[in-house]
Amino acid sequence: MLDTGSVPERFARGWHCLGLATDLADGTPHGVEAFGGKLVVWSDTQGNINVLDGYCRHMGGDLTQGSVKGDEIACPFHDWRWGGDGKCKAIPYARRVPLRARTARYESVVRNGMLMIWHDAEGSPANHDILPPELEGIGTERYTDWTWNVLDVPTAHCGEIVDNVVDMAHFFYIHFAFPTNFRNVFEGHMATQFMESTGRPDMAGEGYGDEDLILKSEATYYGPSFMINWLETDYKGFLTKVILVNCHVPTGPNSFKLQYGLAVEKPDGLDDKTARYIAKKYSDMFGDGFLQDVHIWLNKAPVQNPLLCEEDGPVYQLRRWYEQFYVDAADVTDEMTERFEFEVDTTKANEFWRAEVEANLSRKAAEDATATT
Amino acid sequence: MAYIVPSSADTLEDQRLYTQARLTEVACLDCLARVGVKKNSEHHTSIQWHAESLAECTEFRRLDAAPTGRPIRASCPRMQASIDAAVRDGQLTIGAEDGY
Ligand code: FES
Ligand SMILES: [Fe+2]
Repeated sequence: MLDTGSVPERFARGWHCLGLATDLADGTPHGVEAFGGKLVVWSDTQGNINVLDGYCRHMGGDLTQGSVKGDEIACPFHDWRWGGDGKCKAIPYARRVPLRARTARYESVVRNGMLMIWHDAEGSPANHDILPPELEGIGTERYTDWTWNVLDVPTAHCGEIVDNVVDMAHFFYIHFAFPTNFRNVFEGHMATQFMESTGRPDMAGEGYGDEDLILKSEATYYGPSFMINWLETDYKGFLTKVILVNCHVPTGPNSFKLQYGLAVEKPDGLDDKTARYIAKKYSDMFGDGFLQDVHIWLNKAPVQNPLLCEEDGPVYQLRRWYEQFYVDAADVTDEMTERFEFEVDTTKANEFWRAEVEANLSRKAAEDATATT
Repeated sequence: MAYIVPSSADTLEDQRLYTQARLTEVACLDCLARVGVKKNSEHHTSIQWHAESLAECTEFRRLDAAPTGRPIRASCPRMQASIDAAVRDGQLTIGAEDGY
């Protein structure tokens, strides 16, 4: 019987991305739904981006509707001024600021042009050693600027998207590609998927369904929520290097916001406009892919005891890895972080899938033939 | 407080089955590392490392010393060869058992 289990009570420990720094550092306050509440994000005169609980510790005013005054965020209710360090700096009508006037603050850092914040239910200081790596060339002329999109997933746990790391077969059914090579490695705070795929010719360009499109993909989660996906795409012999970021922020115990951003290495001799056009095309394609996933998540049941066949990836080992972010740091076991390597045999699956696609194509051809007579 | 909070005892048994069943110990022919291996086909391979064996592996040590550190994708070719040898010797049998 399907064991749907129960939703985890806490949010994962680790770095979470709130968006592109350029979007958030425009001098105005931004509200970001996260971790069951709302955060306020603003940049000060030094250009530092600060993140605090979005509700004022005084009497709950909505700081995201406040204004930036100097380096501080000012509450729209009684004008208390909050600094990026979480301390109240001034109360314009008070003789003195209470020493205890502090609010919840999130440590933040800008990495690869993205605002990352540290979350830990236990309140540990941010661990900078496990930040995602710096991407060489990103933010320079070599790459296009990040595209950025956000998808709301209101009724699923974010563990569903993490499951994709090991889900070989869904690439055929949901994303319309033949995964011809598929490998996983989990170690420490990282989980990686290696995949090579070609598009399905029977899907007329839907999703990744284009037989002229060959993808070589290496995708690594750095912690519970932030994945960097290095892709080499080959479209009719035209090679493109794409970096896709796939990350999410849990908004509630059973909801999250999926965010994706993409940059392409500008091909030699191509003007910026064309490079941006290529980036937009790929961004749309992966966006369609995510929408296909979202549709599944919004309708499926959570499963703690998946029933697997030989062609499936290591779902249980991935879940074991993922659990490290949901237990107290002291309760992280060796099994959760120890290196695990896995390679699935895709030969049989691809034989069956090729036959299915051939059948689809001949049926389609027969239909077309009758339609024209 | 855990991520997976199963509501049935069978789920715990499934977790054991999929993560631990049929793992055969394979020792590296070149160093002191030992790993748990499961091969469902010639190609389909699971390799479970443990902290001690990871520390023993000379190949991983060499990569750890590199300026950019050891990339997660790198696997140990010597261990790979040792696994192939274990298959040839009949010490490691290839075959799936009802999906796990
Ligand atoms: S509630 Fe924010 S200043 Fe009073
Ligand atoms: Fe997917």
